[in-house]
Amino acid sequence: MEKEEPLSKYILDSEKLDIHNFNKKIKVAFLSSFTINGLSESLKVKCSKKQISCNPYVAGYNQYNQEILDKKSGLYFFSPDITFLILDTRSIFGDLFHFPYSITKSERENFVNEKINEIINLITKFNKTSNSKLVITNLALPNYSPYGIAETKTSYSFHDAIIDFNKKLKENLLNINSVYVFDFFKFIIKHGENNVFNFQNYLFGDIKISLDYIPYLANELMPYIISFLGLTKKCIVVDLDNTLWGGVVGEDGFDGIRLGPQPPGNAFIEFQKYLKALSQRGIILVINSKNNFDDAIQVIREHPFMILKENDFSCIKINWNDKASNMLEISKELNIGLESFVFFDDDPVNRELIKKTMPEITTPDLPHDPSLYSEVIQSLHDFSTFQITSEDTSRGQMYLEEKQRTVSKNFSSNISEFLKTLNLEIEIKETNSFTIPRISQLTLKTNQFNLTTQRYQEDQIQKFSEDTDVLINCVQIKDKFGDNGITGVFIVKKTNSDEWFLDTFLLSCRVMGREAEKAMLYFIINQAKKNNVKRIKAKFIPTLKNKPIADFLPNSNFYQENDFWIYNLETPFNMPEFLTLREE
Amino acid sequence: MSEKLFKIISKVMNVDFKDVNDESNPSTISNWTSFNGYVLLYELETNFNVKFSIDEAMDVKNVADIKRHLKNHGVILND
Repeated sequence: MEKEEPLSKYILDSEKLDIHNFNKKIKVAFLSSFTINGLSESLKVKCSKKQISCNPYVAGYNQYNQEILDKKSGLYFFSPDITFLILDTRSIFGDLFHFPYSITKSERENFVNEKINEIINLITKFNKTSNSKLVITNLALPNYSPYGIAETKTSYSFHDAIIDFNKKLKENLLNINSVYVFDFFKFIIKHGENNVFNFQNYLFGDIKISLDYIPYLANELMPYIISFLGLTKKCIVVDLDNTLWGGVVGEDGFDGIRLGPQPPGNAFIEFQKYLKALSQRGIILVINSKNNFDDAIQVIREHPFMILKENDFSCIKINWNDKASNMLEISKELNIGLESFVFFDDDPVNRELIKKTMPEITTPDLPHDPSLYSEVIQSLHDFSTFQITSEDTSRGQMYLEEKQRTVSKNFSSNISEFLKTLNLEIEIKETNSFTIPRISQLTLKTNQFNLTTQRYQEDQIQKFSEDTDVLINCVQIKDKFGDNGITGVFIVKKTNSDEWFLDTFLLSCRVMGREAEKAMLYFIINQAKKNNVKRIKAKFIPTLKNKPIADFLPNSNFYQENDFWIYNLETPFNMPEFLTLREE
Repeated sequence: MSEKLFKIISKVMNVDFKDVNDESNPSTISNWTSFNGYVLLYELETNFNVKFSIDEAMDVKNVADIKRHLKNHGVILND
């Protein structure tokens, strides 16, 4: 675990920061039941290291109830993007923290239910008044119990009550899209109660997280910021020699590399397992290695202790090209921008090359000792998302299918001949509790084939879906190689009876170049015609990355009018014959 | 050693080194809030390898008090 700087350094550094320095901005509110001075300063400094301007609001000491209940409170006036509500066991349990057995078992159960109700009511009030995402902590489990070793022989004990509270908190919030539980319970397990809590801190200033652990807590809150701003990394690019196995296969040979159940080979097995788990939750794995292809691929295909197989990698570059050129090719082949990559290589020279030439890529420094690699992977917060969707868990498979499609592409004489062979099916789907998180995710993450790059959180998508003046759908694209899942979104605002406005129109990079966008537009045009609308208005907002969609409007018979593009509904629109359009 | 102490105070309170003296206290240093007072004690504990009791912590009203408690813990401060 990386050692943190002392809190005093964070406080000083934060005073020197200009929060308006960066393009990426976030407003963060902190509410708590105890003293959390220093947390906002630590988070501000950590954000600045990721080029994010963090503007914090810290509510008064133990004022969280008042701030949430009063519609005119400073909290609502500040209008945060994310609100952290940090609670602690002593505050919630009050006198019962010391005297849990002054009441009966059923009274303890009732107490927990009442407290959960109180908090859920508070959250409901907050959600009604604010658009902010809310992150609430669960409770730490103290080692202390007045019953000592008899605690575990007691039915619905003090500790059981805390665990029950945490369980009920999670269950109650599981399906509320904008509210998340931060596992403070596990934070204490990770760092140890004796380290994080000390009586002097507590009694002197009601400080329940000792000063040197405040920066660690800030660190664990960073994933929420990363995820909110859509800065989540999509892909990890790994080297082979001394990264996935010990030694150099070109020199040590197939039998000489270190990879197996005995140390030091087991360190690489452990590391590969972490990579495999990341891939199973939707992070794409890629190889970028300087090696003889035959030597290296033999290890991947035949070595008995390789955890990662050839099919776990969505792209494999094993050659003697420089790694930066390979990175560019990988980015092109996968249709993923450089800012979405993490580069993992044991060689400091290669890391330096990537850091210098492609600063957008996250390139963590690797310890010399491979037994610490897994820890580096675990401590990277860059892969965090608020929720794992079913598209995430099958992404590896989808990219693998894409690899097969690309192979087919090489055999087809021209692109439309190729597209005809794909049996493309485009299904227009409605918004519901399953599709809304994915729609929001697509608006937050899609950069290339995205007409306006409007970013929308789940609650905003929810509001669109309830608004009869908005046409919002997502698109599922299938072909003969498999199901690409929900990979397209459009949001059309019904401005008036004559005119609709194309607010959002996007396709995931995974399905670009198959003309699915024409089926989407065809659907929108037909809906507009049914409603006797005269014209569809659109705007192209250029960014550094959305060149692929730059010609879409003129190519689809939109004509320019000042800053906008207009489609006259009397203009006929033909969808390519090889596309099949379905409606849910 | 007073210099080391004053340096820590000037760093934690974000004030000029020359503005720190034995009489400095929360009314002469605007950043000396109750929380920063605690951060200061924490920094002193780490840098001088001592542990203040809660009575000592509560007793600190100015820099001279800090010196007195550090001396009681065996820290030698050359004035």
